[in-house]
Amino acid sequence: MSNTTTTTNIPDRSWTGRGLARERWHGYLFLAPTLLFLAAVIVLPLFHAFWTSFQRIRGLSSTFVGFANYVRVLEDEAFWHSLRVSLGFVSISVVAHVLLGLLLALALNKITFARTALRVLFLTPWMVAAAVGATIWLWLLEPQFGVINYILQSAGIISAPIAWLGTPGTAFAAVTTVEIWRGVPFIMLLTLAGLQTIPAEQYEAAEIDGATTWQKFRHITLPNLKYLLVVASTLDIINVVRHYDIIGIMTGGGPAGATEVLPALLYNTAFRANRFGEAAAIGVLLLSMVLVFAAMYLRITRVGQEDDRR
Amino acid sequence: MSRNALLAAVAVIALAGPAAAQNRVTIQWQTPNLTEAQYEPIWKQTIAEFEAANPDVKVEPILVARRDHWTKFVASAQARQAPCVVAVDLTTAAAEGYLRPMDDLWAKEPASFRDAWAPEMLSAAKWEGKLYGLPNWGGTYAEVYNRELVEKAGLDPKNPPKTWDEYLRWAKALTGPDRWATSILGGKTDTTTRVLLTWIWGNGGEAFNADMTEATFAKNPKSLEAIKFYLGLFTKEGVASPAPTTTNYLEQTVLFAQGKIATMRNAYWSIAKVIGDNPAIEGKMFVAPMPANIPNAPTLASVSAHSISQSCRYPEQAWRFIKFDMDKKWAIQRAVKANWMPLRRDLVNEPELKADPMLAEFVRIGANARSYPLPHPAWADIAVNDIVDAVQKALLEPARTDEIFRDLDVRVTRKLRQ
Repeated sequence: MSNTTTTTNIPDRSWTGRGLARERWHGYLFLAPTLLFLAAVIVLPLFHAFWTSFQRIRGLSSTFVGFANYVRVLEDEAFWHSLRVSLGFVSISVVAHVLLGLLLALALNKITFARTALRVLFLTPWMVAAAVGATIWLWLLEPQFGVINYILQSAGIISAPIAWLGTPGTAFAAVTTVEIWRGVPFIMLLTLAGLQTIPAEQYEAAEIDGATTWQKFRHITLPNLKYLLVVASTLDIINVVRHYDIIGIMTGGGPAGATEVLPALLYNTAFRANRFGEAAAIGVLLLSMVLVFAAMYLRITRVGQEDDRR
Repeated sequence: MSRNALLAAVAVIALAGPAAAQNRVTIQWQTPNLTEAQYEPIWKQTIAEFEAANPDVKVEPILVARRDHWTKFVASAQARQAPCVVAVDLTTAAAEGYLRPMDDLWAKEPASFRDAWAPEMLSAAKWEGKLYGLPNWGGTYAEVYNRELVEKAGLDPKNPPKTWDEYLRWAKALTGPDRWATSILGGKTDTTTRVLLTWIWGNGGEAFNADMTEATFAKNPKSLEAIKFYLGLFTKEGVASPAPTTTNYLEQTVLFAQGKIATMRNAYWSIAKVIGDNPAIEGKMFVAPMPANIPNAPTLASVSAHSISQSCRYPEQAWRFIKFDMDKKWAIQRAVKANWMPLRRDLVNEPELKADPMLAEFVRIGANARSYPLPHPAWADIAVNDIVDAVQKALLEPARTDEIFRDLDVRVTRKLRQ
């Protein structure tokens, strides 16, 4: 009884009623600048893109055409071709990023000599702006005067210069290789951080039990990195599927559409063909694909957090 | 001076200064050429002298690489923020509503000014009867040869090939280890299309019907024959440099400057670029009409015009700058230093222009030329996407050339009629 009396005399500081409402308003007030900024740079352009995808744009005039742009895009073989190119580009790039990133991280985790210098060195492709990296590769791969052909010819590996960006197969291989070169450090960095969180006691116990290097990797390293690798792969897919810069600079989507991933098709449709409505429709379709992977990412991270809490 | 008079003078200066600054307007100027080394000193001088003569106008050059020029223009035009003075694909830009008709400004000019442009030259800057640009320079395509390589191959520079058979004989003689007669242009720019058109016209073919409602790359047998011969220089004869699908103006001129190819089909401006890449080649080139299978075959004359964008807030000032840039002084400097052919007909007898034999030859060849770009709103798309894609596919799969260009006819005809 006395407890009840005491409680009623204390001012209302609980997270209910007017106090909570006031606190909430303060919270929204502090968040407002950020929310307004995000609305200006994300929500409005996104809304504009959706709106554009329902319009037939001719220069400065536009007409509402409903889903006609989507129908035209989906009926066009160029879209499905680009989708296939995108799938190939993303699959090969992400698998290579993860495998090479993991291998490099394992190696760097072991190395003690010049560790910092090596880490910086391996991070360089990621630190260089994609446009700059692509331009450097463009000249390295130049058929007549490029260093790559010069080295291969000097070593007797090839007898005549190869037009790396001139044929569909080699052009696709070249832009994928450059994407791999650029993307590996990101996965390496994440994996290296993950490796350093694995308790050393697990490896010590395994050594006492006589486990081989492979067994330690298979039963300790991989299970500990599993969550991180899945998250990193998902983030990498979201990242790579949107990439335009490397392909835009090196091939523009050519030759004959061999490297025309969806962002390249979008760019070419908008700025070469001047069909902004269709380009916006391609953008919305691309966004929906990215959202699928983003949903996967959110689900994986939520499950991971729940596992951590348990 | 009394204290009051001094204060009054200071007040006048203080008020007049900002007022003058407020009256000064800034106009932006964007062309694909402002980043080219040979033109830079000329345009800088043009702006400096214009601003000195027109203190109320400041000209801000927009430096953008050629490949990004159209993208930047369209993006700014869509935002209603396009530079006032631009040089763009005129028909496409006019049809899209990005340009302001200039007829009112043109009509106010005296006849002495207007007479400097031939009516057929002005027609290249019109769309649906309205004037959207003032042509200021152009480029006639011809065959440029490396005299040293020609002589080394035992050929006579005074007797260049006139027919395709003769050209092929020359091409075979000019091809050797790590060196080729020429380059096929197949990169993703409209230069690929320009050169292809010259080959088609040189065989008496046509790429389009008269009113540009139908594409006839495959439908016209002469056109298809020309395409096969031209692309066959790489795919069949092996006399063209490797990697044609990535070869554009830039690569072609570098190969020519380095002596890797002996001949290139190009405009007068390529000479300045080649000499810039390799000064030792100066004086070792000669130019001749393009070999053709028909008499008096037309060549291609690319026309560049200055326009005023629809979103320009200061059209009168923009027009003043365009007129200033069209002055004989700058036209002659552009011709002599950047190798851009002047389009004013009152410059034909200028001694400085007549003194350059190569320019004189280009002018002579250009007497029978068709203007480019072709007048259709979808031209920019067709020239850079559809035609280039077909050329690339045919270079990669020569056995399918007929089918590829038949598909091109269907695709382009659909676009022409939309």
